Amino acid sequence: MTDTTTPHRGRSSGGLFATIDFSAPRHRAKFGYLLLAPAVLLMAVIIVYPILLSVSISMQDVRIARIGDGAEPWTLENYQWLFGSGETWHALWVTFKLVAVVGGLSVIIGFATAMLVNQKFRGRAAARLFVALPWAVPEVVATVIWAWMLDSSFGLVNWLLMRSGMVSEPIAFGSDPNAAFAAVCFVMIWKGYPLMSIMLLAGLQSIPEEQYQAAKVDGAGVWQRFWYITLPNMLPVVGVTLVMTTLWVFRDFAIIHVLTQGGPLGATTTLSILTYEQSFEFFRMGQGAAVGVLTMVLCAVISRALVGRMAKSVH
Amino acid sequence: MATVQFDQIKKSYGAVEAIRDFNLDIADGEFCVFVGPSGCGKSTALKMLAGLEATTGGTISIGGRDVTELGPGKRDIAMVFQNYALYPHMSVRKNIGFGLKMQGMAARDINTRVEEAARVLELTPYLDRKPRALSGGQRQRVALGRAIVREPKAFLMDEPLSNLDAKLRVQTRSEIVKLQKRLGVTTIYVTHDQTEALTMADKIVVMKGGEIQQVGSAEDLFHTPNNIFVAGFIGSPGMNFFHGTVATGADGPVTRFGETKIALPAKCAAMAGRDMIFGIRPEHLRVAESGPSVGLTLVENLGTEKILHFHTPGQNMLELDRTALANDEERDAQSMLIRVIDDRRYRDGETLNLSFPVDKIHVFDPDTNEVAG
Repeated sequence: MTDTTTPHRGRSSGGLFATIDFSAPRHRAKFGYLLLAPAVLLMAVIIVYPILLSVSISMQDVRIARIGDGAEPWTLENYQWLFGSGETWHALWVTFKLVAVVGGLSVIIGFATAMLVNQKFRGRAAARLFVALPWAVPEVVATVIWAWMLDSSFGLVNWLLMRSGMVSEPIAFGSDPNAAFAAVCFVMIWKGYPLMSIMLLAGLQSIPEEQYQAAKVDGAGVWQRFWYITLPNMLPVVGVTLVMTTLWVFRDFAIIHVLTQGGPLGATTTLSILTYEQSFEFFRMGQGAAVGVLTMVLCAVISRALVGRMAKSVH
Repeated sequence: MATVQFDQIKKSYGAVEAIRDFNLDIADGEFCVFVGPSGCGKSTALKMLAGLEATTGGTISIGGRDVTELGPGKRDIAMVFQNYALYPHMSVRKNIGFGLKMQGMAARDINTRVEEAARVLELTPYLDRKPRALSGGQRQRVALGRAIVREPKAFLMDEPLSNLDAKLRVQTRSEIVKLQKRLGVTTIYVTHDQTEALTMADKIVVMKGGEIQQVGSAEDLFHTPNNIFVAGFIGSPGMNFFHGTVATGADGPVTRFGETKIALPAKCAAMAGRDMIFGIRPEHLRVAESGPSVGLTLVENLGTEKILHFHTPGQNMLELDRTALANDEERDAQSMLIRVIDDRRYRDGETLNLSFPVDKIHVFDPDTNEVAG
């Protein structure tokens, strides 16, 4: 390694940075920080500041947030409302129900489709594309299409159900709380399982073929191979995908907003919908921000679980 | 314990024939090694025996029972894989006992058998560890344990030593042989390493391009190779080959090596006037007072032995592409090697006289690549 901090070099290029040899072992770290700095600053501006701002708003009695207009005095009123009102607990309950149903079913469907397209058969590439397709459609577009298909008067779904004789009268997906919740679950699963499927497929492909061969020689049947080889090998991936789906369901806004606007009777009001309602329908920005902060804390806890899992999943 | 028979086994992938006319009898308790360059079909043959690959034609019998259409679990065999294929989420104990569990054996009996196998393989202290907490050699032994605990009719081993470092490989090699001798279980072992084949096997099956080239003991293959491929493949370094026309000399058949005549085996008398390929092993060439003189191009000193390189005389040079050695990347038609064990110092560029012991010269037909005469 040459020493470039010679007087000659220092004079010729001038400036502080030019005199430091960043490839030298003692300066290497400084160069790293220097390169990181723009990214860190950018993150501070676009991520950290808004978070701090929303925490700040959640502790003020604000109707419409206006920055630099002289902040209101800090108060815990919004949090008193948050934990005191039935709305929050209801939204939490709806969110957890949704997470359980969508997360659970997406994993099962994702696992099944991943196993299917992991087999060798003609047209596998097309089948893989087909499985991944719902993921590629923009959320709002997909939801609008489903909203039309699920319409109680003109919808394709009701027409098919009636024609096939499975129901005698149209299901009111818009006004029946259970039907609305089911519709939201259905569209979310439809939109969410492909990601599961893709991640699980990657997981399946990473299981060495020899493990299956060894199990076959050991006399394990199809189900035993699934139970003793596939499942244990896949657990870390399933864990990660499950947490990712949980985070997505927690935060997803577009599908519910387009499909039901959180109704009927709050049957599909999740924490995200509640945040939006409070902030932009009732213009109670402080309360909306409080819901947002709660969601953020819950998501942070789940993310922590995700990171922990990923670290553990390395065999 | 059982005999293993391959009868007219064929395997094709579409139009490509990976294995054809594979006929082989392996006796009870025999250690049989399939050896050959990569892509020769040795692993495919083993997988067909294991039931992991379907055969295209022919029958496979284990212990006199036709197993061609049986699944791997029903053939009563155990297999050791190249990368061990241990189940990463199971402890060593569960890994070894998995096969017995699949057979529906009671947990207590499994444990007894597993501990016995672990004792034999000196794995007892590691029984409750996961495979990832073991060294390569220990993992290898777990894979062996998984095989021996089943007490199968045959062991199938697919390059089980290739993931070990050189020293451990030599050590494990002899351990496997000792274990096999003690248990007396018929073993079919696949490797691309001819040293492994020579040191371990009772019976060696040399394969190339999906066909058996020769079956025999290490002695047979080394001293009486059937064809130019086996001659070149077995032995390290491999046999030297050169090209020459058979002429009739005063004391019998001769050929020219460079400008000097060398005597040929008596059987060559019948080939007078023909172009033949001659082979001689590096350790059979002798440095002598008289005989063809060659200039050393490279001297490799390996401590006890030295490998001397010299140029093959131009007119004796082989056209490799026309022989069965075409795909042997290590082979160089322009050089021949001498392997010497003596105290003399050799220098690059030195000129030596060589003698070609007449009984060590192999003669091959250039058209068929088979041994001639």
